[in-house]
Amino acid sequence: MRSPDTAAAHRAPVLPLLAKEFWEIASGRALWIMLLILCPLVGYSFFQAVGIYGEASSAAQDSPELASSLSPLDGVLVPTFGGLYLVATLLFPFVAIRTLGREKESGALALLVQLPYRVPTLILAKMAAIFGAWLAAVLCAASALAVWLAFGGHLYVPETLNLVIGHVLYGLLVGAIALFSASISESSATAAIVTLAFTIGSWVLDFALAGQPGVLGWLSRLSLTQTLRPFEQGLLSAGLVLGIVAAIGVFAALAAVWLHPGVPVGTKIVRSTACVAIAAAVIALSTLVALSLDVTEDGRNSFSPPDQKALAELSEPLIITVHLAPEDPRYVDLRRNVLSKLERAMPRITVRLATSSQSMLGSANDEAYGEIEYSYLGRSDRSRSTSPREILPLIYALAGRPIPEPIAGQEYRGYPLLANGSPALAWFLGGLPLLIVIAWWRSRRPPRFPAQLIKNGAQA
Amino acid sequence: MTASSLGTPMLMQVERLAKRYGEQRALADISFAVNAGEVLGLIGPNGAGKTTLMQAIAGIVAADDGQILWRGTPLPLSRRRKFLFYLPDGVRPWEDQYVASAAELFAAIYGRPEAFLAETIRSLGLAPVLRKRIAALSKGYGRRLLLALALLTPHPLVMMDEPFDGFDLRQTRDIMDVLREAAGSGRTLVLAIHQLGDAARVCDRFVLLAEGRVRGVGTLSEFRAQIGKPAATLEDVFLALT
Repeated sequence: MRSPDTAAAHRAPVLPLLAKEFWEIASGRALWIMLLILCPLVGYSFFQAVGIYGEASSAAQDSPELASSLSPLDGVLVPTFGGLYLVATLLFPFVAIRTLGREKESGALALLVQLPYRVPTLILAKMAAIFGAWLAAVLCAASALAVWLAFGGHLYVPETLNLVIGHVLYGLLVGAIALFSASISESSATAAIVTLAFTIGSWVLDFALAGQPGVLGWLSRLSLTQTLRPFEQGLLSAGLVLGIVAAIGVFAALAAVWLHPGVPVGTKIVRSTACVAIAAAVIALSTLVALSLDVTEDGRNSFSPPDQKALAELSEPLIITVHLAPEDPRYVDLRRNVLSKLERAMPRITVRLATSSQSMLGSANDEAYGEIEYSYLGRSDRSRSTSPREILPLIYALAGRPIPEPIAGQEYRGYPLLANGSPALAWFLGGLPLLIVIAWWRSRRPPRFPAQLIKNGAQA
Repeated sequence: MTASSLGTPMLMQVERLAKRYGEQRALADISFAVNAGEVLGLIGPNGAGKTTLMQAIAGIVAADDGQILWRGTPLPLSRRRKFLFYLPDGVRPWEDQYVASAAELFAAIYGRPEAFLAETIRSLGLAPVLRKRIAALSKGYGRRLLLALALLTPHPLVMMDEPFDGFDLRQTRDIMDVLREAAGSGRTLVLAIHQLGDAARVCDRFVLLAEGRVRGVGTLSEFRAQIGKPAATLEDVFLALT
């Protein structure tokens, strides 16, 4: 009797694998507990944000200037989604680790790697389940948007969507790191420690090294929390999105490299090195992608439309030499108020620090310290201001262009709102948790099996 | 005796397989052949290297040396899952799933029709626990489920680690019938068994392992001839050769 030659004639469908991964992540307690904890975190953040926003709105009732500083993005959305950020950083790793950790601990990994799928397919299915779980968390948090609208609040779709995209990408990045950690660890506990080293280590990098010059400053930019900032500021940066996607890709690829227990460690190290090298190249390239969109309604990341138009027409290179230390608050102001906007508005601009090793203490006796030099078309001028009101006229003067006239009526007027946030607490502490518990209960019910299968299987 | 002398084609060859865990030698210079359609028993005491050998053949652990040939052609690690399936011992996979879900998963992945799935469930007596979670299964039913998963795969060669562990005498006999039926339908089985009485009942040929080395390969009658005891049991043979 001759055995069949191979089991490969049948091409395995991906849907059963996807269903298994989604079922695995939904059947554990971790996901549901994370969602239940998310409710009070997001709910209380939202409640507080609405309260503070209301107080500010009350003060702004008689003052249009105060009202113009009331943006729902800063006042409500960013603080509300802060709860989601906490959950992504501290709790979501445990949910994501489960997609692989349980299989490693129970021995099911030996069965998994024998299924007729390539290892990258197995990892992609797990990433899809992680994405699904994170989407559930984002939807719970995003229910605050509906409550805000019900209060009569205003949402500007592009900036809201941008913020949600940022949190989705951040959660996926944490999920990919967790999957990689589970892949290299024998137990879920070890994987959790490795993942938290990434996420909590990012906080340390952020707090301890942000604003430091040189290598320390560069290190601080590797912090995961930095990835969210531009989204919270209303910037959609193509380079940042590319960088995050590349980082997600490399952690998923590394998870695939380390998944199969039968591949020698040496081979895994070689493959990992290749993955990291490719990802480093992509991330380095992403830093060169300058394309970014200011998606805020108040245009806070841009100059006024007439200025934007006039600056875009300055086609010659503008060179800005800054005599300030990177940690100097004036440099931080200058970068936020002027340099980052100029970099987005002008086609050719070079910003350089006079000396990269310059520090505030060491420059106390330097007379030039604090000056910013602007060179355009062979002409140059100096200023110590960090305000665009002084700097833009200086640049127009160097270019020999008139100062553009402001367009009346285009100013952002703000969206003050006096609202009582208490009904939100009823939703986040009552309604939403109840829905989550019902979904949890339903997920634990056995699926419907074909009656014929049960009947035929029982006929002994 | 070689495969050609048995009149069956050689399906898989294991050549000079070796594996160390640090200073400990788990497998050394393991070579034997598996013939198509036979039930081959890997026999040896606990710690003989049966599990490591199966894992190395399946590619679940990386061997330090040696190779696997499939019908005479080297079978690299990446292609082994297309030809052979390894059922590990002592695992309880996907504990939160229902028994029926796990069985349906394998049937769906391997394109098995519902009638085949129902027949597998029937033959292994899984019907009473189909709506139970895997975590809630007894040891015996857990083993039955694993056997069902292995039998749902279409691989020409299936390796099972201690397939009778957790069964009483009557259940063991029933499972032996199921495995014999699978072999009769054209599948080749390699079973790691430490109970020599069970092995003698179900296997056509044996590979005797002790301390990570092959101590003998052949049928029971060949072993009897080798040790010069025509009425020897497999236990007698094992004691004489190891």
